[in-house]
Amino acid sequence: MATVTYDKATRVYPGQDTPAVDSLDLAIEDGEFLVLVGPSGCGKSTSLRMLAGLEEVDAGSIRIGERDVTHMPPKDRDIAMVFQNYALYPHMTVAANMGFALKISGTPKAEIQRRVLEAAKLLDLVEYLDRKPKALSGGQRQRVAMGRAIVREPQVFLMDEPLSNLDAKLRVSTRTQIASLQRRLGITTVYVTHDQIEAMTMGDRVCVLKDGLLQQVDTPLNLYDTPANVFVAGFIGSPAMNIATFDIIEGGRAKLGEADVSVPRSVLTKVSDEGSDLVTIGFRPESLVPVSSEDVGGIPVTVDVVEELGSDAFVYGHPAGPKAAEQTDRMRSDTVIARVEPRMAPAKGEKIVLKVREGESHFFSVKTGERIPQ
Amino acid sequence: MTLSTPAGRAPAKRARPHRPQTRRASDPMRRGKYLFIVTFLLPPVAVYAIYMLSPYLQAIYISMTDWSGLTATQNFIGFDNYVRMWNDDQIRTALRNNLILLVFVPVLTLALGLFFASMLNVGGRRRNAAVAGVRGSSIYRVVYFFPQVLSIAIVGVLFKYVFAPESAGGIINTFLSKIGLESLTRLWLGEPRYLIWVVVLVMTWSFVGFYVVLFSAAMQSVPRDIYEAALLDGASRFTTFRKVTLPLVWDTVQVGWVYMAIQAMDGFAIVHIMLGVNGGVEGAGDVLGVAIYREAFASSRFGYAAAIGVLMLFLTMTIVVIFMRVLRRERVELG
Repeated sequence: MATVTYDKATRVYPGQDTPAVDSLDLAIEDGEFLVLVGPSGCGKSTSLRMLAGLEEVDAGSIRIGERDVTHMPPKDRDIAMVFQNYALYPHMTVAANMGFALKISGTPKAEIQRRVLEAAKLLDLVEYLDRKPKALSGGQRQRVAMGRAIVREPQVFLMDEPLSNLDAKLRVSTRTQIASLQRRLGITTVYVTHDQIEAMTMGDRVCVLKDGLLQQVDTPLNLYDTPANVFVAGFIGSPAMNIATFDIIEGGRAKLGEADVSVPRSVLTKVSDEGSDLVTIGFRPESLVPVSSEDVGGIPVTVDVVEELGSDAFVYGHPAGPKAAEQTDRMRSDTVIARVEPRMAPAKGEKIVLKVREGESHFFSVKTGERIPQ
Repeated sequence: MTLSTPAGRAPAKRARPHRPQTRRASDPMRRGKYLFIVTFLLPPVAVYAIYMLSPYLQAIYISMTDWSGLTATQNFIGFDNYVRMWNDDQIRTALRNNLILLVFVPVLTLALGLFFASMLNVGGRRRNAAVAGVRGSSIYRVVYFFPQVLSIAIVGVLFKYVFAPESAGGIINTFLSKIGLESLTRLWLGEPRYLIWVVVLVMTWSFVGFYVVLFSAAMQSVPRDIYEAALLDGASRFTTFRKVTLPLVWDTVQVGWVYMAIQAMDGFAIVHIMLGVNGGVEGAGDVLGVAIYREAFASSRFGYAAAIGVLMLFLTMTIVVIFMRVLRRERVELG
């Protein structure tokens, strides 16, 4: 059991100017499940491998508990890692794979056997202990890789996209298994994924990275409710948040083409302090409600696609009105997504007016992309 | 007949329902396929039979004659040549030397090849990668392959000078006396008991590079994260090599061993060039290949030479079969 601390940890790959991980500051609590998430190339795997000792730390330091492990060889760090491709030893049986680390460290045979069997029971692998990895299915291999980590009883678990080689259905069930297993074992875990749903469902806290820079660390719901900047806002949540840059007009409102939303006074002051008359506004699909067109303001949308999921219904549309072309240039994506009441969805091609629920808009500075608190 | 007819018919009857279908579907196709295969197979098989198999068979016949290689006549003398071979001390020396080559050259070459290859590919602990070769591994890779580029004749001539006496420019002796180890200087190629060991050394030197490259290729096909997993599991370099690398490249080692055994059974070029047609002082460095050459072309005893050749053929085949058997292990599939 231990905490993990990244202290301005930086990694620059040789021959490159920009760091892959740029002075990462991160404190992970004892027993916490922390998920590193971001688009590919954001430095999340590199951060994990730095902690594992598979990548050099060029500046800053990394501590596990009170120990400075920055330049410590991997084997002395008391960590275990689950690789994306599992990295099982193909010539060893499942039992030998799981017991390899213990065998090297000179643990007595009986003890190894006991711990392997224990882990195998936990992971439902007992009947496969004598098989070689090639005779296992993808899900079983994944569990062996987990078992190999569990058997060592390390201070920290590292997982590098362990679910990305599984099919969609297995991924969902394994996701919950890993999360509950971690809670049961109570071992500090750092988990890397590019899938924000995995991040949201598994993590105690989620750390969003982009281009090697830490964007935000918080609980999944806080990330969802108060994204720190435009990137986090667009990255977290599925379907994605609608984000566009609006002109601020008289009367505490912002306009983009025909779309018209209200802006709180506190935000207006901060925007004008910045010397700007533009503001980036984001609203989640479920924050939009259809209204009758006579109301003041609202966002006129022509419906392109309706997704009826039974429990939910999503409307994908594009801005309606004469200035629609100008509008799309200033939108993050060229569709507007809204969640509507299922079984009451509008028809394709219909023109509807959507309104943002009071207080559910997110405002971001056009210049810095940072959140403007209301 | 009466008994066999019903017995033979029963399965035919049962099989009938399937038959028309399979026949109609596959017959013309199959005939076409066979024709196609035979067309392509026949020329190489014919070439192989004429130029490879028939000389072997002829050699076996010639080994039972007293043919000198120079005359048109040859008399069948049965196993006389083999009996004579049995009592020939020089052949015994050659055979013993071949066995020494067979044991020491593969062991040395493969061990060194594996060692160098693993140092070049996974042995290093570099700053920018957890799993990499030692510093300068790309240079070593080229350097190790150099001997392979040299023709074996050049290697022979080269090492004749390396082991020559100081007055003739021998590098080893000059070096030894320069660093004050005069007492260790020897007439390396003049002492019967050193000769075969000199040959072992030279053969190892000239073959190692090839096996370094061969094993490097095998090691590079092992996914990197397996080495990383071993690293995290706390395996030292040596444990990684013994428990992970070696089992994963074992197939290649086995192939290497078979090649090596065949090469060690030969050794003709090196011995002939370095030690001469008589196998050096007192024939102490003789090998079967040189003996064959000597009997056939120097002593004009083609029949006898062929008999030695047949002996070598069977020895090589036996050894390869034994090696394949002993070294067989379960195949390991990566990924």
